[in-house]
Amino acid sequence: MTKYFQIWLASARYSITRTLMFRFDFFLWALVELFWMGVNLLLISVIYEHTDSIAGWSKYEMLLLVGTSLLVQRFLMGFFWSSLFEMGRNIKSGAFDFFLAQPGNILFMASTRKLDLDGLCNSLVAMGVVAYAAHRLNLHPSALDVLFYAVMILCGLIIHYSMLVMTISLAFWITSAQGIEGSYFTLAEFSRLPREAFKGIASVLFVWLLPVVVVSNAPAQILLHGFQPAWVLALVAATLAWFATAIFVFHRGLRRYASASS
Amino acid sequence: MFPSFAKYRQSFLIGLQSNLVYRMNFAVRGFFSLFHLAVVFILWGAAYSHNESIGGFSFGQTLTYFLVMLVMQFFVGAFNEDYQISEEIRSGLINQFILKPINYFSYRFSIFLAARLVTGALILIPLLVAVPLLKDYLTLPTEAWRFLLLAPAMMLSALIQFSIAYCFGMLTFWFLEIQGFVILSMAIESLLGGQMFPLDLLPTWIFNAAKFLPFYYQTYFPTAILTGRIEFAAAIQGFGIQLLWVLLLLAVNQLLWTRGLRRHTAVGG
Repeated sequence: MTKYFQIWLASARYSITRTLMFRFDFFLWALVELFWMGVNLLLISVIYEHTDSIAGWSKYEMLLLVGTSLLVQRFLMGFFWSSLFEMGRNIKSGAFDFFLAQPGNILFMASTRKLDLDGLCNSLVAMGVVAYAAHRLNLHPSALDVLFYAVMILCGLIIHYSMLVMTISLAFWITSAQGIEGSYFTLAEFSRLPREAFKGIASVLFVWLLPVVVVSNAPAQILLHGFQPAWVLALVAATLAWFATAIFVFHRGLRRYASASS
Repeated sequence: MFPSFAKYRQSFLIGLQSNLVYRMNFAVRGFFSLFHLAVVFILWGAAYSHNESIGGFSFGQTLTYFLVMLVMQFFVGAFNEDYQISEEIRSGLINQFILKPINYFSYRFSIFLAARLVTGALILIPLLVAVPLLKDYLTLPTEAWRFLLLAPAMMLSALIQFSIAYCFGMLTFWFLEIQGFVILSMAIESLLGGQMFPLDLLPTWIFNAAKFLPFYYQTYFPTAILTGRIEFAAAIQGFGIQLLWVLLLLAVNQLLWTRGLRRHTAVGG
């Protein structure tokens, strides 16, 4: 365990050095993420210009939900995105051999190689959005609620990571995963919607089968309405199930890896 | 004229073949766009549950707008043309075009057309699933002029889409990595191109300003014509601005190409 932590620290050091070398890139990407977050917040603000409530959620409650969803996504971007994005490319080109030859857990090595400081910086902005919304709603969560919120965010991060690993693993089957990673963003869109908006088959599919809605709604509920065991249990169970599935799919895919370009 | 047409016909056919190779990717992407429609349906459905109309349009009209917008993106939108051009410059593959009597813009544009033919055809498959499910909501205006103006508006939109992607590709002459610029502009395009929400829901002054930007003409303009969000006089005026943007972007493309080539060091050549 400590060995892996040391490896991760070494990767983090390397990433920080790299960021300092390519400062322009860092600013550009930080701006890119900031813009995309702005686009999502603007969508909320435009809709609420024309209505007072979406599925019973007021403007600032919705802002808190979207901020939470963006926070999980920024962490994913910061900790794993670059490495997983390259994994798809490497599977196609055959450069994935490099990770197979390393004496360590393949998925760990392949998904922690690079940190993106821009994503991590923007996670502060997302936290700011959540804090601002909580302030406007006049919320005063206890320290325990905040702790539970943090744990829920961690679970959310693991679920998003698992979804992304599964999406990228498709590259093992269809070789060129170019653009496939974009489908992750499509699924992530659901996490910016309140659970109450889902009805009928959509509720079954996106709330119960895919965890995307729970990921953001469970932490947001804690801040809005305090600790709710049902939400927490649902999220923890979903986290375990999705992480296990992602590992299974990845290893199944690995068997098909042909080590060369198509 | 005709011999040169034959050249680009060949590149179009090759483009068709190479894009057909990636049909699975496009199909998966098309399939995932159904999820995007589901998000739209749920979010706007919830917003409409307390309102009969938003911005003067019913839920059905808004849903139709998003569906048409999606189809439009697959028919005229640039997908990864910017990266392909960038890759050709960076790897030195572009050198062969400098030495041959072939216009790189026309060559690339013919491949872009082939790619849109493939993606346009592939989006029809998920549409076969979506349309029966949504048929009670979908509603289009019936005026004939909307259907007549649609094709020219789409063609000019495609030219604007491609020209913007081409400009970003050309940036590779100056910057090694263009991905940051591309994704930054994607955020602006998806906002001001009307992919996030119908632009007419914006405050009036922002909407009026957006009409003078090229992004408005990328996807929003043809979509608004077909879905009844724009009137005849405004559509004709829009055509004028759209045409101006096409000419301006073509000029910028040419400028970046000639300036860029001066900096080009023909790596890998």
